[in-house]
Amino acid sequence: MSTIRHRLTPLEKADRRLGFAMLAPAFLLLSAVVLYPIIDLIRTSFTFLHLAQPWMGNPFVGFENYARALGDGRFHEAVWHTVLYIVVTVPGAVVLGLGLALLANKPFTIKWPVRLGLLLPWALPLVFSGMIFRWFFEYNQGIANAIVRGLGFQPLNWLSDPNLAFFTICLAIIWKSSSFVALVLLAGLQTIPRSYYEAAEVDGASDWQQFREITLPMLRPAIFVALIFRTITAIQTFDIPYAMTNGGPGNSTETLAMYIHKTTVDFLDIGYGSALAVLMFIVSAVITTGYLKYTRRDPGRH
Amino acid sequence: MKTGLDRRRVASFGLAAALMLGSAALAQAQTTLRIFTGGQQRPDVMRQIVDVYQKNNPAVKVEVEVGGATSEQQQQYLNTVLASKDSALDLVLIDVIRPAQWAAAQWAEPLDSYLGAEKDAIMARYLPAYRAANIVGGKVIALPYFADAQFLYYRKDLLEKYGLQPPKTWDELKAASQKIMAGENNPNLRGFETAGAPIEGTVCTYLVPMWGVGEDLMKDGKLNLAGDAAKKPFALWADLKAANVTPPNLAEIATDRIRQNFQAGNLIFGMTWGYVWNRAQNDADSTVKGKVGVVPLPGFTADKPATCIGGWQVAVSAFSKNKAEAAKLARFLSSPEVSKMQAILASHLPVFPDVYTDKEVLAANPWFAQALPVVLASKSRPVSPRYTEVSEIIRTNMNAFLAGTRTADAALADMSSRLGPILR
Repeated sequence: MSTIRHRLTPLEKADRRLGFAMLAPAFLLLSAVVLYPIIDLIRTSFTFLHLAQPWMGNPFVGFENYARALGDGRFHEAVWHTVLYIVVTVPGAVVLGLGLALLANKPFTIKWPVRLGLLLPWALPLVFSGMIFRWFFEYNQGIANAIVRGLGFQPLNWLSDPNLAFFTICLAIIWKSSSFVALVLLAGLQTIPRSYYEAAEVDGASDWQQFREITLPMLRPAIFVALIFRTITAIQTFDIPYAMTNGGPGNSTETLAMYIHKTTVDFLDIGYGSALAVLMFIVSAVITTGYLKYTRRDPGRH
Repeated sequence: MKTGLDRRRVASFGLAAALMLGSAALAQAQTTLRIFTGGQQRPDVMRQIVDVYQKNNPAVKVEVEVGGATSEQQQQYLNTVLASKDSALDLVLIDVIRPAQWAAAQWAEPLDSYLGAEKDAIMARYLPAYRAANIVGGKVIALPYFADAQFLYYRKDLLEKYGLQPPKTWDELKAASQKIMAGENNPNLRGFETAGAPIEGTVCTYLVPMWGVGEDLMKDGKLNLAGDAAKKPFALWADLKAANVTPPNLAEIATDRIRQNFQAGNLIFGMTWGYVWNRAQNDADSTVKGKVGVVPLPGFTADKPATCIGGWQVAVSAFSKNKAEAAKLARFLSSPEVSKMQAILASHLPVFPDVYTDKEVLAANPWFAQALPVVLASKSRPVSPRYTEVSEIIRTNMNAFLAGTRTADAALADMSSRLGPILR
């Protein structure tokens, strides 16, 4: 872009005005649905607002809600559970997604069954996936316990044992989100020229060497995109554990997003819930910037 | 050609105008009321009842909106509707624990002015517990729709087969369960279930044994969790679990699952609500028709049974645009004839004492004869504007204990520290 400023001709000025005028509706709409709620959320987080106690009003309380979060054991547990979900399901989904993408990229003569299989879990609403998995792991009628019984063992409390519940939830999340990762990686795979592989074959490289020396490095940008998206959605994990265990047993599978939902929608403690939401927003923003910085510093092409 | 087109156009315009005028007139004459009910509170019976109302009041059309199965699921949805002051709902069926909360949040239209001079006479006809629950700070917040309490359902056939009487104490229940389970040798058959999932009903699972030893959550306005009574519920359920009387997945059991297991023939005893009778006797898939008995819940000693009060009330939304019409419908829904209809169609316990002795009601529900004293003696969960929080704290801890992830002491410590500031 040229840095030399020149006087705009009346025609150019009119063009520019038209441009702004055409952008204005989109800008106003975005302000209304994104900017205003964020500003209002931050404002509310510095106030007391409990809708079950309307007589208490909406006074300004400074950092009181944030101080409460620091001392709230349940908040700490929810953060810890969320971190565990991220640590397990993000790499899990990327590994499984990579496998699925490689499979879908194979030169099958009929491609649609594999690709449909990839799209379906992604197209399914999150809460449906959670309900389907809840039925798989249901104590009496679930297929998981049918298999366990068939093998001659006592049925397991898949959903009311905290470790098993965490495991089944992770399984559901990985199943659900790996298809999205696979779609992103499949797009990446298709940009790798076939000639690279042909050249490697001529040089006598094994399949594993081809994967390590060509596929993986060429796929790095796509893997990063998938990682960023998957991590952001993992921070916000809500639907699947909500449908499968509703945070139980006790609150041992409760995520940060679920605790925020409970505080605001169930308890109507809007002030405190807003502070928790702001904290979650900060965490997402920090992690995303970290990722973006890492990808920018390292062009990551080869 | 041209005139034909014109004529057609005039005709269609005329028709459209007539239609518009007609529907405008109809809209003016007809009020549409929307009532919210939970999926567990027999919306099909509610439909039959409001159909009767519509027949007698042709100017009113009633829509029934059906919500979640459990009390806390329904309230979650209602929280979003009412916190945004949405006028979509005119009447709402609310749990007996909610009037105080609804009064405090100013979600319910006080009904005093709609009841007028008859107010005291009308309220005096209800069972005392429901009169008390629905009047908050001197104002009528809602009108009782049906009463409820937890009873002990049992398999008459199995108890007879082993020569057992319905248990009056928890020890008798444990012994009876063990005897029958050992004799039947059916791996799917369990002795006893109560709500253990993190749902509203699990609050009663905690409170009933505490009441059984004559104590309550609050004592002299203070939280009463320090003594032995507060540990009693944990000890009781742990004992039944250790004896394999309750299933290993008790922490997953929600209210209606007890009925399903009972109807499938997989349960000897169930601690659950009045509606189960009608379903177990009439549902097409029930395997226990004619084999069901209902008695008061056991106690730690036979002379001290305790149970949790339930039941549902009709509240008029403070944001309704048709409050007067809605209040009229609420009065109908809270009338003796509707109480009787519900008793026969759904085994919902009546809110009027004399309906319990009605011949047709007793023919449909022989056990109602001994149900009235149980309802009269049943106890209330704590009353608070912040009841959703109170309930969540109790049920989450009870659920964590039943799942084995929290000890009784840890659960009590968590309950004390979190309930303290709320129930001051």
